[in-house]
Amino acid sequence: MVAARLEITGLRKKFGGVVALAGVDVSIDGSGITGIIGPNGSGKTTLFNVVTGAHKPTAGRVTWNGQDITALPAYRIARLGLVRTFQQAMSYPGLSVRDNVSIGFEHGRSIGSTDRRWRSPDEVLAFVGLDGLGEEVAGSMSFGNLRRLGIAVALAADPVLLLLDEPAAGLSDSEAGDLRELILRFPKMGIGVCLIDHDMALMGAVCDHFIVLNFGTKIAEGAPAEVLQNAKVLEVYLGVDL
Amino acid sequence: MSADQRRDAVTAPGFSLNTRKTGSSGWLERPPLDHIVMGVAILAFLIAFPFFNPGYRFLSLAITTGFTAIALYGLALQFGQAGIMSVGHAGIMGIGGYTAAILANQLGIGFWLALPASILLSALAAGLVGLPSLRVGGQHYIIITFCFCALLVIALTNGGDFTGAATGLDVGPIAGPFGINLAKLRNMYYLVMLALVVSLVLTYVIVHSPYGRTLWAIRENEPLARAVGINTNFHKIGVFALSGAFAGAAGILQTYYLRHISPPLYGAFPSLYLALMVMLGGARPLYGPLLGAIIVTFLPEVGGLDPIDSRIAYGVGLLLVILLLPAGVSGGLLGLYRSMIGRQRRAEKG
Repeated sequence: MVAARLEITGLRKKFGGVVALAGVDVSIDGSGITGIIGPNGSGKTTLFNVVTGAHKPTAGRVTWNGQDITALPAYRIARLGLVRTFQQAMSYPGLSVRDNVSIGFEHGRSIGSTDRRWRSPDEVLAFVGLDGLGEEVAGSMSFGNLRRLGIAVALAADPVLLLLDEPAAGLSDSEAGDLRELILRFPKMGIGVCLIDHDMALMGAVCDHFIVLNFGTKIAEGAPAEVLQNAKVLEVYLGVDL
Repeated sequence: MSADQRRDAVTAPGFSLNTRKTGSSGWLERPPLDHIVMGVAILAFLIAFPFFNPGYRFLSLAITTGFTAIALYGLALQFGQAGIMSVGHAGIMGIGGYTAAILANQLGIGFWLALPASILLSALAAGLVGLPSLRVGGQHYIIITFCFCALLVIALTNGGDFTGAATGLDVGPIAGPFGINLAKLRNMYYLVMLALVVSLVLTYVIVHSPYGRTLWAIRENEPLARAVGINTNFHKIGVFALSGAFAGAAGILQTYYLRHISPPLYGAFPSLYLALMVMLGGARPLYGPLLGAIIVTFLPEVGGLDPIDSRIAYGVGLLLVILLLPAGVSGGLLGLYRSMIGRQRRAEKG
C-alpha cells in the first residue's frame, strides 16, 4: 500500500484584512507523526480548518492521496479518512459518552463496513481508557476525560490521518503522559497523526517531523532536533537571548 | 439554557424524549415502564373521552387539539431536536390543506388519496422553506418563515377560482371505510385521535433511533458532527421535511374537519400560536406538544376568556414559562416528578 499523503500547495486564507495563511506549501506523510508548531496566531488551527473543509481557502490546493479535496464539504473529507479533533468543544456535551462515540461510528469512513479496527463504540472507549464510563453524560466529565473522549469520537470515524488540535492543552503531567502513550500507538495501527501543540516535551517525544509556521508561512521543516536548532525557529518561536 | 439545565434535561428520568437508555444493542430499545404507563393512560382517556358526554363544543375542541398537536409534533422535532424555531408552520399546514381542497375541487379526489399528496407536498414545501436556515440562523430565520406565511396568504387570496380567493374552498365529508360515517363528530374525533397516536409513536421512534441521535449531535455540536462525516445540511433539510409531513397531515385533517378553508387560517398569527404552544408545552418532553395544544385550545373555554383576554393570558403565560420553566410546562412537571421520585428514594434509604 502506498503511504497516504496530504499535499498542500500555495494555501492562502484571509479573514477580511487578516491573512491567516499566506501561501503554505507542505506535504504531510500520512503514516508518521507530524508536528505543527508555531506561536499563537501563526495559522496552525486555520490550516486544520481549511484542510478539513471547515473553512474554504482563499487560494491554493489541497490533495489527499492524489484526490483534490479543496472544494469538498467537511463531511466528505471526513469520510475520506481525514478526521480532526477540536481545541474546545470536543464532544456533544448532552449525549452520553457511548452515544458520542456511536455518532462517529455511524457516520465515519467505513459506514457499513465490517472491516474496522474497533467493532463497537465500547471498544473505542476501552482503547482510549474510558471503559466503564459509557453511561456518563459527556458534559459532566472531567477535562482530562473530555480530551480522551474527543479523540475517541474522532477514532470512531475510522481515520487514516488524525489531525489533533492541541490535545494536551489543559492536561496534567500524568494525563499528558497517557496521551503521549496513546499517540505513539497510532502509527503502529496504520493511523497517521498530524499534531498541533505547545507542549514541546510531548511534541519532541512523539513527532518524527516538524513543520514550523509563523505569520501564516512555513519557516522551517524537518527532523525535530534539526528544526529546533534552526536560528529562525529559535528567534520567532522560542525567543532569543538578548 | 445553561449547561446545567441541559444536563438535567438530558439525565432526567421519566417522560422526556431525550432520556436515551444507552447500552442496549437493539436499534430501538424498549421504552421505560413509566413511558408505557403514561401512554396507556393517555390512550384510555382519549378513547373514553366521547363517552363522558363532552357535548358538541368540547368534542370540537378536542378534535382541534388533536390535529393541532399533530402539527406541533412536527414543529417539536424541528425545534426540540434540530434547534430551529419557525413561525411558518401554519403555512405548511396550509400547503397540506389546500392540496387536499384543490384536489377535491379540481379532480374530485377524496381524503384518502389526497392524504399522501398533502403530506408529500407539505414536506417538500417545508424543505424548501428550510433552505435559508442553512445560511441564516435564529431570529433572522424566524423572520423568513414569517414572510413565507404572509406571502402564502397573499398568493392564496389572489389565486382566483383555483384557490377560491378570499372566500376559500369547500370539501365534502370523508368517505369512511366499512360504511363509517365520518361526517359524525364522534367518528371524526376517533380518526383524528388515531392520527395523533400515530404521530406520537412516530415521534418517539424518530427521536430514539440513530437518526434522532444524529439530529441531536448536530444540535449539540455542528462542527464536530461535520468533522466525523455527518452531512449536516442534508439532515437539517431532512428534519424540516419531516416536520412538514406532520404539518401536512394536520392540514388535511383540519380541512376535512372544518369542511371549509380560507387563507387567514394559515397566516402568521396561527403560526405564532403554534410556536407559542410548543414553547408553552415544551418541545422535548414526549407529551409536551400535546399538553401545549390542550392548554391553548381549552384555556379560553374553560377560563371563560374572550379572544382579547385569552391573547393577554397567552402572552403573560408565555413570558412566565420562558422565565420560570424554560423546558415548558411539561418540563416543569417532569422536574417536579423527578424531585418527588428523588425524595422518595432518599426517604427509602432513610
